[in-house]
Amino acid sequence: MTGSALLGGGLLAAGLTGCGGAAQAAAVQDIGFWHLLSGGDGIKMQAMINAANQANPGFKVHPTVLAWGPPYYTKLAMASAGGRPPEVAIMHASRVPGYAPGGLIEPWDLDLLAENGVTSADFAPRIWEKSQHNGQVFSIALDSHPFVMFYNTDVAGKAGVLGSNGQLQEVSSPDEFKAMALEMQKVTKAHGLSFGYLGSGSQMWRLFYTLYKQHGVDMELTPGQPMKVDREAAVESLEFMASLFDDTIAAQAGDISTGIAEFARGGSGMLFSGVWELPTMKKAGIPVDAATIPTLYGTPASYADSHSFVLPRQLKLNEDKRRDVYKFVTDVLKGSLSWAEAGHIPGYQPVVQSQAYRELTPQIHYANAADIIAYDPESWFSGSGSDWQTYFAENVQNVLLGRDKAAAGWDAFEQRTNTLLSRPNPV
Amino acid sequence: MSTSTLSRPRPETLRKPTSRTRSNLSGWGFAAPFLVFFLVFLVWPILYGFYMSLTGKSLTGANDSLIGFANYAEALADADMWRSLGNTLYFTVISTVPLVLVALIMAALLNIGLPAQWLWRLSYFAPYLLASTVVSLFFTWMYNPQLGLINEFLTGIGLPRVAWLNDPNVAMWAIVIATLWWTVGFNFLLYLAAMQNIPAQHYEAASLDGAGAWRQFFSITLPQLTPTTVMIVLLQILASLKIFDQVYQMTAGGPGGSTRPVVQYIFETGFTGYRLGYSAAISYIFFGLIVVISVMQFVITRRRSA
Repeated sequence: MTGSALLGGGLLAAGLTGCGGAAQAAAVQDIGFWHLLSGGDGIKMQAMINAANQANPGFKVHPTVLAWGPPYYTKLAMASAGGRPPEVAIMHASRVPGYAPGGLIEPWDLDLLAENGVTSADFAPRIWEKSQHNGQVFSIALDSHPFVMFYNTDVAGKAGVLGSNGQLQEVSSPDEFKAMALEMQKVTKAHGLSFGYLGSGSQMWRLFYTLYKQHGVDMELTPGQPMKVDREAAVESLEFMASLFDDTIAAQAGDISTGIAEFARGGSGMLFSGVWELPTMKKAGIPVDAATIPTLYGTPASYADSHSFVLPRQLKLNEDKRRDVYKFVTDVLKGSLSWAEAGHIPGYQPVVQSQAYRELTPQIHYANAADIIAYDPESWFSGSGSDWQTYFAENVQNVLLGRDKAAAGWDAFEQRTNTLLSRPNPV
Repeated sequence: MSTSTLSRPRPETLRKPTSRTRSNLSGWGFAAPFLVFFLVFLVWPILYGFYMSLTGKSLTGANDSLIGFANYAEALADADMWRSLGNTLYFTVISTVPLVLVALIMAALLNIGLPAQWLWRLSYFAPYLLASTVVSLFFTWMYNPQLGLINEFLTGIGLPRVAWLNDPNVAMWAIVIATLWWTVGFNFLLYLAAMQNIPAQHYEAASLDGAGAWRQFFSITLPQLTPTTVMIVLLQILASLKIFDQVYQMTAGGPGGSTRPVVQYIFETGFTGYRLGYSAAISYIFFGLIVVISVMQFVITRRRSA
């Protein structure tokens, strides 16, 4: 999938150079743009880039797609440190605290954004707040992509757990949730819920942090101090997760793709997953709807991150190119309805409030997530695809597999985190 | 050995000094292309890396002042460094033994005189030519708990499924098996070449004296192979200590850090964790360990051959 998306992007780019390039080659600015979107959303991104290129004959954006996670962030940091970064790049909002203080990325000029018709009023409060660092705006959110629940309406209907509006009935406690999953299991004869996690710290963290935040508590990481965390809430969340993997409610051991495949072929009624899997589910041809993860501990919360535009630090700033970047980014924001088709909730509010977006299902059924999203606790080592999430997996996987006590797994992770916090801060 | 040659007068000393300088110059000229690379890409990075290990240098450019040996002190108290170092040593031990033994057995079997020698040689050596990424992909699929060939086979003969790359107790062995398949061909080729150099008369004489095949193997073949074995063990230990590719691609150090080698930990602290100075310090600790192992080997083998 990655390979073909890359190839497709390359061919498209080559084709465009072939037909439009010659006449105006001299005046066209080349804008380098790095991103890490290689799945179905990579194809959408390429379409948005093509649209922006066509609308703006003055510049041409050349995307470079790199593998998600550590490979991407390693290269972006190296390129910025070495003074040869792209003009603009995508970064998870949760990774900005690791880049902004060290000067690897530069703040956005709000006046220049306003000239292009984008202001702070165009973003939901939680998302705009996340873009700030020390009073400056370092990232412009293209979207928020929360961790949600997909469900098979066919299975849910047969299990009798649909409400009168055709959507899944509300549950508000761990036991109610499990009872609902068991009803669905009776229909599928396999599992009620699909959730693959083996070997993926990101995946374990997404569900854990959703449940943890539902307790209405916070988590703080301040270098030089032990982490501030509600241990009881953390252990309770882990215990609940472990209790799901009993081979009836959900498979005891499976990786992400196994979980997705199981749900896509109707082997379960529900799937906990990032919204970006929506295109996969639609292609699978199952009757799918979606909602935010049920509030099981009192406070609505949903783990999320945002794909955001950042400006890597340039050794020699080319003002013209910078202006083109602002135009490009604001054009993409305004055209992000197609981004919503890939499952993401657009960050740009005029799109979210448009009639066209309201007609997108199931996107509209989880659009409320933007108001309850919880980003990773901020520190130089946290965020999507960070080593910290790997350390989470190292200490927690055995809990989920039923080989270790939740309290022991949590304490080991907390200790690992405290070690990181006690080390010198490299940013 | 070298002392005796030095004490003898050399013919060059009789030549005129001018011609010697000239031939020296042309000698340096011929060596220059290598020398430049050697200095720029090996000597300089080693020196600069050591300097880095004494600083707080980070990828983001923050705080690159000299901090003495603080990085080393921190590393020696870092449980994750010790754990990854332990993983590397564990891998070295459990991979070197089969990589030497299996190579020897394969070479000995082939040397008995099987038909279609070229086919055996090719099939044993061919995996060695593959890139590590290809090998990792092969084995990731074969080890897949649900769809993998190996578990399919195991369940076929009534054995339970094994979570090869997801079980902390098994993962390292799974890596060793993949590595064995991948690189055993090289050692095999060295052994085979050495075996074919043992004069046939030795075996003739032995069989006239009534020595059987086993006796011949242990009393002729093995002793004659000693220099080869020493070299193979040495090369293999150094190769195994460098373990990174397969692990990074197959388990990324998991599950639970049970396969993370020290080279991966160096990569993680330096590049994804930004702390270049600290990761340089771990590299030098690892470097020191390799030097110690090499010197130990050198001493042992020299004592043997003396």
